[in-house]
Amino acid sequence: MAAFLLPGSSSMAASAADGYLGKLQQLAREKGLARERTWEVLLHYKPDGAGVKSLVDDPRFFNAADGRKNPESELLATLASFFTATVRESEEHPQCRFIARYTWLNERLGFDPERLPKAACPKFEKAVYEVNPKSIVLVFPNTLLNSPSSMFGHTLLRINTTLENDLLSHAVSYAAMTGENPGALYPIKGLFGLYEGRYSNLPYYEKVKEYNDIEQRDIWEYHLNLEPEEALRTFLHVWEMKDVYSDYYFFDENCSFELLFLIEAGRPSLRLADEFYGMWRFWVIPVDTVRAAQKLGIVDRVSYRPSRYTKMLRIASGMDEGRKDTALEVVDGKLPSENVLKSVLPITEKRRVLDLAAELTQYRFSKGKLEQDEYQKRFLDILAARSTLGTPSEDPYPIATPTSPDQGHLSARTRTGGGYRSDSWFGEFEWRAAYHEITDLDEGYVPGAQINFMDLSFRYYFDDDVLRLHRLHLINILSLAPWNSIFRPISWKVTVGVEEVLLADSKDHPVFRLNAGGGLSTAIGRTGIAYLLADADLQASTRLDNDYALGLGGTAGLMVNLLKDWKVNLWAQGLFYSAGDEHQAIAAALQQTLRLTTNNSISLDAKRERSFGNYKTDVVMRWNWYY
Amino acid sequence: MKKVIVIAIAFSLMLVGSALAAGQARTNAGCGLGTLIWKDGANDSVLYQAFQCTTNETGNWVLGIQTFGITTGTSECQQPKNFASNERANEFMVANMDNLARDIAQGRGETLDAFAELTGVPADKRPEFNAQLQSGFARIFTSSDVQMASVMDNIAAVSTK
Repeated sequence: MAAFLLPGSSSMAASAADGYLGKLQQLAREKGLARERTWEVLLHYKPDGAGVKSLVDDPRFFNAADGRKNPESELLATLASFFTATVRESEEHPQCRFIARYTWLNERLGFDPERLPKAACPKFEKAVYEVNPKSIVLVFPNTLLNSPSSMFGHTLLRINTTLENDLLSHAVSYAAMTGENPGALYPIKGLFGLYEGRYSNLPYYEKVKEYNDIEQRDIWEYHLNLEPEEALRTFLHVWEMKDVYSDYYFFDENCSFELLFLIEAGRPSLRLADEFYGMWRFWVIPVDTVRAAQKLGIVDRVSYRPSRYTKMLRIASGMDEGRKDTALEVVDGKLPSENVLKSVLPITEKRRVLDLAAELTQYRFSKGKLEQDEYQKRFLDILAARSTLGTPSEDPYPIATPTSPDQGHLSARTRTGGGYRSDSWFGEFEWRAAYHEITDLDEGYVPGAQINFMDLSFRYYFDDDVLRLHRLHLINILSLAPWNSIFRPISWKVTVGVEEVLLADSKDHPVFRLNAGGGLSTAIGRTGIAYLLADADLQASTRLDNDYALGLGGTAGLMVNLLKDWKVNLWAQGLFYSAGDEHQAIAAALQQTLRLTTNNSISLDAKRERSFGNYKTDVVMRWNWYY
Repeated sequence: MKKVIVIAIAFSLMLVGSALAAGQARTNAGCGLGTLIWKDGANDSVLYQAFQCTTNETGNWVLGIQTFGITTGTSECQQPKNFASNERANEFMVANMDNLARDIAQGRGETLDAFAELTGVPADKRPEFNAQLQSGFARIFTSSDVQMASVMDNIAAVSTK
């Protein structure tokens, strides 16, 4: 029987033949282990038609030829593999390679050590000694500055060790291996699962450097309430996954989804992955996996790790312009750090100037704006001066924890409402797959970062008695990154999709539209951002005389929270089309959103526009529901 | 239906993503200051940020190939002479020398705490340790191209009396 299960395995030990394997397999069958939740979790089985199928694609993950779809035969073959007498030196014994399965099966079946070959697992022993898992943290790096698409983001898992300092813990992440130069086929390959997804492990400080110091993303840490023995189980499963791949799908079978299996392996009774799996689940948004963990009540506490950028703004806050300039001169090498020491500033301000200069120097280097030798000299020069100024007893630049990303509105949105557009009343229904726009309330999000992905709107006009596609934006990004005294980022936007546009016949017609622009924005008060962007606009439709119109223009606007729950966006846009159908289009609008709860709000938008010399007024009121 | 939607999305992404910069993954290895491993170019592009779960690293840190807790090791670096140092502390120093130098100069910080823990400085001795390192900064970081081994030895010299 055993030989039948593992044909060709010449190394099957004599001990298997003496009947012990058969006994174990019999017992496993009687207990129905192959149907237990833990086995399902460890093998990543998911419903597939009438049966199940593992989401792992690598055949090396399975011991039985049909193991991917047959939990029982995989379990029996796994038991058989434990009886392997010898393995090549470069290989791990199945008892080690499938250490999570081995551990669980041993618990459930009570292996007799006398009758089962005991494999040595030196690699695993070393790793488990070094990692020594104590607890698990789900880590979410927040949106990258001036790159709203990074909202789709990333999560990783941190395994805390007996070492106290968090930087010394271990980061486990899952990623598509794209190779050095991803190239233009990158999105296609990613969408259709042509990349291999693999787990990797790094010291956590490497991840903190990557996100906090290089990409300038704040990091959110969700401490899970897994016990040390559960954290160990997670680690055992990581070990099983280390050499295998799964086809990687950007949207659904992505990093955040995969990590859920690691958490489930720690505590199999948790059902985290279920809600993200199914025919109609097109994507898994990382922050939603955080919310799923919150919902199951496994998040003990949340901690916040501000980026270098956030730290710099904090150090600079409360500095007058002159002192900021001093810091900038030091960074630029125009002013020796010594001069700061000799200045008449109070000691706390000297520290502040040099602390800011040190961070800025590192920042510039990480952006490739300083050569290494120049950086080394300047950085050490600043620090040498700073080291003579002693230490305040408390952290001089404490940063208040903002609203965490999981507390913001949910990613999908529907809007229902109606209004008046000259000269007809209409009803409106909108659906947006994800994620956030500047008229949505910002708590939990980076203000000024907008990405609408799959934004669909229909209008029913009562006068015409007709339902029309009003808008389908495939993607709509707006990144308002305010200028300040230290940083001068470029704000930008891009929109691709179809929308109704007022044309020469004084009617609205669906037009393919590509709009892009760049410009500047500046912070107004604590919550406001004013912006000015140059626009390029391309429209294509058979309704246009020349089938297209290409224009240039600009957009100016101001978004501000007048009250905590009341947000206003006032904007005006002028576009002058000089190629294709020559015409002008001018619009001005006032958009208001009033929050009722985190996931419910009312909005009232009013717009006046002129296009091809035709005027229209558009007023619409909607109920927004985020889900 | 799912395929159609996916194709539509893929097409539009190709459109938007034609701006995908062919950036260089830059690794700046070494044993001194400014050795942070960083990537630029492609990582700044819209698409890359949308699909953060990808890596263009070729896999020398894929689990199982390297040891836990150690990225590249410090075999390319000169080794410190002092006995208290250990491979993890050396590794940590190489990977974090910049932030460690900053913390030492400021007399406090998480990176400095981690280093103290790795080198076995008990919690109650840390304020003293931090102060000794801060006042000894110029003797620790003796030149701008100072390397891990010297920094380790210098820290040992400055902190034990």
